[in-house]
Amino acid sequence: MTSFERLQNRMVGNPVDRPPNFDIMMQFATRHIDKPLRDYYLDHRVLVQANMAMLNDFQLDIVQAISDPYREAFDLGLEVSFPEQSLPISTSPLLREPSDLARLTTVDPVNGRRMHDRLEAIRLFREKVGGCTPIMGWVEGALAEAADLRGVSTLMLDLFERPDWVIELLEFCCEQAILFARAQMAAGADIIGLGDAVASQVSPAWYRLYALPYERRIFQAVKNSGGIARLHICGDTTLILHEMATSGADIVDIDWMVDYQKAAEISDNDGPAICGNFDPVKIMLQGSPEQVREAVINCLSIGGDKNLSAAGCEIPINTPYSNLHAQTAALSEYYSMA
Amino acid sequence: MSEFVEQLALCVERGKVNRESLYPPDLHGQDGTDELAKQALEQGLKPDTILEGCILGMDRIGAKFSENKAFVPELLMAAKAMTAAMTHLKPFFQSGAVKRKGTFVIGTVAGDLHDIGKNLVAMVVEGGGFEVIDLGTNVTTAKFLASIEEHPGCSVGMSALLTTTMVNMEGTIKAIKEKYPETLVLVGGAPVTKQYADKIGADGYSPDPQGAVAILNKKVA
Ligand code: B12
Repeated sequence: MTSFERLQNRMVGNPVDRPPNFDIMMQFATRHIDKPLRDYYLDHRVLVQANMAMLNDFQLDIVQAISDPYREAFDLGLEVSFPEQSLPISTSPLLREPSDLARLTTVDPVNGRRMHDRLEAIRLFREKVGGCTPIMGWVEGALAEAADLRGVSTLMLDLFERPDWVIELLEFCCEQAILFARAQMAAGADIIGLGDAVASQVSPAWYRLYALPYERRIFQAVKNSGGIARLHICGDTTLILHEMATSGADIVDIDWMVDYQKAAEISDNDGPAICGNFDPVKIMLQGSPEQVREAVINCLSIGGDKNLSAAGCEIPINTPYSNLHAQTAALSEYYSMA
Repeated sequence: MSEFVEQLALCVERGKVNRESLYPPDLHGQDGTDELAKQALEQGLKPDTILEGCILGMDRIGAKFSENKAFVPELLMAAKAMTAAMTHLKPFFQSGAVKRKGTFVIGTVAGDLHDIGKNLVAMVVEGGGFEVIDLGTNVTTAKFLASIEEHPGCSVGMSALLTTTMVNMEGTIKAIKEKYPETLVLVGGAPVTKQYADKIGADGYSPDPQGAVAILNKKVA
């Protein structure tokens, strides 16, 4: 069974040889191939090489062009620096004043330095594993992108003080996300992930107003291009689980703070597959292989027959290899128990 | 408790900054923390009562936050309303009529851009009567040291949200303690624990801003 077949079967609840491993790997993958982090963010060849190593060495069932939140923002003009051995750093917002929004125009991803690099990554993935391993592209959700451009705390206050301006900004970000999602689909992506990290920090009422409508529109564009939609909101999303299920996502990621059993309710009756959700730090980074095994099997057994295996968020850079191997082994073991 | 303190606390809790502010809609056109503080001083109320109202309001919204009844934006808005009232206290702080309890330098450590929690801590500590110097995100050891140099006797707070940046705090604390052994250093952020704080030589840890204020208060008591 190829990873692609494994995913397709699993997403509709059909039998698989083992549930797909959908861990999010970025920094860890880079360290594994012994390259500077900076190269992973700036050079698609390094990103692809790191992902190929994850397939071969840890039996992942996905290759992923996700890297950091600032692909779109950089091309829109945000200042970002790339230290050799750390995450990209953005320290001053692009939209210092609300009036700065009038100067922003969407960028065709083909012409954007960092968006284009992601398109190249997807093309290279296509050449190497197209049709066998699901290829995931990535966009920032409108609310997350707005926060990247304006600064989270400022944006939160804007939501109280100039809600109409924020809507205008969200419309802009949504349009940019749709352009980027379509371009990634055209380059050969099978899945588009949408990251909306800050959505876990606002009230459910605000999630419905300021995040969900845009997630829906972006996912509609993904679906129209024949793609699989994956929603990723880090943090505690307990209060918005049922709304997230209406975003149009086929896969909803669940972070570790959420009760996975409760999350599984959204999978019932044609709902999305859920993906998660053991603690990336306490279990994957700091736990023992036996704890990883237990956590993986526990999630699989309560997540419903469509759920995919992954830590709640990115696998930390210094995760011991033995813990990742324990996850792989647990996935096969789970199948043999069934 | 005086009616004034109660009224100011309500405006802080609800994030009502001034008469013009659109938020919250049900208080539209009414005085906010800005006007209330100004009037209070004109009427000869003690500046301390303003502080009292601010602290009470922040306590209330903080409690709602812990119960999942208020969220980060509501907390930030309350903090903004609090700041609007505190601005009127500036001259009293400067003249020494109202004493700030001390100076608190805070920043998110090098490599880390998460600033929501750091901002909340900064605002609540300010509400607690301290002068706050916010160094922003991605703050290097050199920057912390320079700020301590500039504010003799200050306390320092470091925030880290990533397991990879949390480890940077140890070196920074060492450097601070070498040059300014008297400096009180607090650490926090989601992955940080009391045990970790002890291990790296921090003087204090708190999972929330209120705890940070309590530790700082102890120092000045
Ligand atoms: C919002 C968010 C973001 C936003 C940040 C926006 C911003 N300007 O802050 C964005 C999208 C930019 C982001 C980026 C990333 N993030 Co992020 N993010 C989050 C999220 C969802 C919420 C964090 C938050 O603001 N919480 C709310 C505040 C109020 O809580 P808090 O910070 O803990 O603060 C409280 C206390 O800790 C305490 N406190 C805080 N500081 C201090 C200081 C002192 C002195 C004291 C006493 C107390 C104290 O008081 C605060 C109030 O109660 C968390 C998930 C989560 N729920 O924790 C992930 C999370 C922190 N992010 C994570 C990751 C991995 C990343 C990225 C590396 C992803 C990537 N590969 O691109 C990047 C890193 C960017 C960088 N260089 O820093 C991981 C960290 C894992 C780990 N432990 O190492 C988390 C935990 C998600 C996860 N489950 O894996 N993220």
